[in-house]
Amino acid sequence: MKLTHTKVWSAAIAVTMSYGTTALADGHTADVYAPYAGTTLVVNFPAHPHYNAVLEVLPEFTEQTGIEVEVDQLQYLKMRERQTLELTKDEGDYDLISYVVFSKADYVYADQLENLAKYFMNPKLANPKYDAEDLIDGYVQNIGVAGGAKGYLPGPTGSLFGIPFGSETSVLAYRKDIFEKHGIAVPETYDDLLKVACQIPEVEPGMGGMASRAASGHQASHAFLLHLAPLGGRVFDDEWNPTINSAEGVAAANALKTIVDCGPEGSQTFGPAEAAASFQQGTSAMFMDSIAFAAGFEDPSKSKVVGKVGYALHPKGVRRGSQTGGFGIGIPSNAQNKEAAFLLMQWLTSKEGDLKVAMAGGNPSRFSTYANAELNAKYPYSATFGEALKYADPDWRPIIPTWGKINADIGTTMSQVLTEGLDPQEALDGVAERARAIMDEAGYYTWQ
Amino acid sequence: MSTANANRLTPYLFLAPAGVVLAVALFYPILYMIYASFLDWNPSQRIGEAEFVGLRNYVKLFSDAAFLESMGVTLKFAAVVVSVEMFLGVGLAMLLDRNIRGMSLLRTLFILPMMIAPIVVGLMWRYMYHPTVGIFNKTLKSWGFESIPWLSDGSWAFASVVIADVWQWTPFIFILSLAALQSLPSSAIEASRIDGASGWQQIIYIKLPLMLPVLIVTLLLRLIDSFKVLEVILVMTNGGPGLSTEILSLRINRTASEFRELGEAAAMSNLLLIVLLVLTFTMFIYNKAQDARVARQRKAEQEA
Repeated sequence: MKLTHTKVWSAAIAVTMSYGTTALADGHTADVYAPYAGTTLVVNFPAHPHYNAVLEVLPEFTEQTGIEVEVDQLQYLKMRERQTLELTKDEGDYDLISYVVFSKADYVYADQLENLAKYFMNPKLANPKYDAEDLIDGYVQNIGVAGGAKGYLPGPTGSLFGIPFGSETSVLAYRKDIFEKHGIAVPETYDDLLKVACQIPEVEPGMGGMASRAASGHQASHAFLLHLAPLGGRVFDDEWNPTINSAEGVAAANALKTIVDCGPEGSQTFGPAEAAASFQQGTSAMFMDSIAFAAGFEDPSKSKVVGKVGYALHPKGVRRGSQTGGFGIGIPSNAQNKEAAFLLMQWLTSKEGDLKVAMAGGNPSRFSTYANAELNAKYPYSATFGEALKYADPDWRPIIPTWGKINADIGTTMSQVLTEGLDPQEALDGVAERARAIMDEAGYYTWQ
Repeated sequence: MSTANANRLTPYLFLAPAGVVLAVALFYPILYMIYASFLDWNPSQRIGEAEFVGLRNYVKLFSDAAFLESMGVTLKFAAVVVSVEMFLGVGLAMLLDRNIRGMSLLRTLFILPMMIAPIVVGLMWRYMYHPTVGIFNKTLKSWGFESIPWLSDGSWAFASVVIADVWQWTPFIFILSLAALQSLPSSAIEASRIDGASGWQQIIYIKLPLMLPVLIVTLLLRLIDSFKVLEVILVMTNGGPGLSTEILSLRINRTASEFRELGEAAAMSNLLLIVLLVLTFTMFIYNKAQDARVARQRKAEQEA
């Protein structure tokens, strides 16, 4: 998709740079934080490897700034439920929240997240050395910006509501030893991928080709969409007409079916944890999902495949398009310590903060962090992940308020394709028809 | 105010606190839910901001194939589990209604499953059903059989959740039936024995009819409960594969949290409430009829 990206956020920074250098130019960072010393921020983070790493780094923030941070950590779907309630209150308990990417639409639409422009324009708050250009563009667009193209994407009318933090894209993890043993080349394209996925169980009896999510509901939908973007499909066209039942959609459904059929036993009910466990335990030869799982594969206490895993880009279909997902951080409109929350947000996503979190096992949000030599020495796969990010597709799934319902429908229907032999074309025609009704009711065809 | 008037008001005065508690704790939430079912309300809005849409949520439900399927699954699930549990529970009670040493210990052991938290029950069965490392498939394989797709095939998944529910709730019926059996008048049973009734005849003509009032109440309690199972199925299958195990309470849960349609979820809850109310009224009416019959009999006896 072609868009003109006027980056409101970077413009905001440019503004601050011209006004606000005095606050920091002579290195008096303590002065910046002084008015807020003693404040206690309450933040809501998910239970997720990235945020576990953040917890290790937070004491340093308190030490430097005198701002205390109290963390409320929840499983990510529970976190969303809690936030939904919290954000409707007059005075919220949270000063900073981490939100799942698909919450962006709901929160921004309900006017529950602060527009960050005014903070980046405030010379007393914004650090001129923040270097927003260094933030991974695909993530910022996907997670931070709303109000541009199609409403949820960036574009001339968009603005910034959050900063990516703990963002993810997809890569292909494969067993180097197995591939070498049978002289199999690392799949570059989807044709290769599907061929290899079904070749593995033949040459390596008892081992599945690729472990994938497939459980009914969100998981099956996620797995399907993962293949839809690279194979050239989209859920909707630019005018919100469902295009999920196109030839590309059917190809994606068939790809998923092939992968699950040639996958490890019981694949049909795998969630991400089970799929990752299957790869970790050596019962499947490939795993294509979020980069967040990589740290677990290299952890000797959990994994039987330490040192045997290679990482490659998400294979190409008619185009490259890996997923964008994970989390961003934003300031709720009903927060009580917004300025201090911004300082924490800026500190965590600064070059130094990002590197610290990454070294503790988090997912970087900056290109400079991925290029860091120290990080690459500690986590050798970082370079591949940095490369994969160039192809991260912010539009691999729509982030609109009606998505929850459509997502669930795709997921249950896809599960029927995988377990009950429902014909993919027929299944997707059904999804498209129901999606049209949902979109119509929500007013997406008002202008047609 | 005269003393007579004050006297007449006293009982109401004493009842008032209970009435207030009832109104606040029971009627307010129910009325709130009924009101919510007429709204187009998403959780990011306050209830005051939600749009009033009349009966639209209900109309939508009846044309929603997924909801109807979920209703079907719920009815099928309730019918199957309750019949199987009644059969097994009453059967077990008949078998164990005798003086065995250590009976009280056995009884405690038997009711253990219903004391375990539902989430734990769900997790436990999910791991036992695991396709490769679960105990069932491992055992089947070691005996040389094909493994069974417990949770990954629609019909098997339904059977699997039924098995887990039966395991958990048969003890409930067992314990109530056993109590009923042990409180039966021994004179009737002795009389039948003297008349030469066989074991089966005793069960069919004496014990079951005498236990019937208790059994009916047990049945209805279980039926009501089985309409509301959530956690075990949520953990085991999350409604899948497809919609094969998506019972109504799970659908309501998803509608509220995943689809963010609080109004629709409230409408579904109301429909479920109506179904359950009908069941409860049946129970109530049966009890009334039963009481009336007993009273009639007693009257007849007295007259005679």
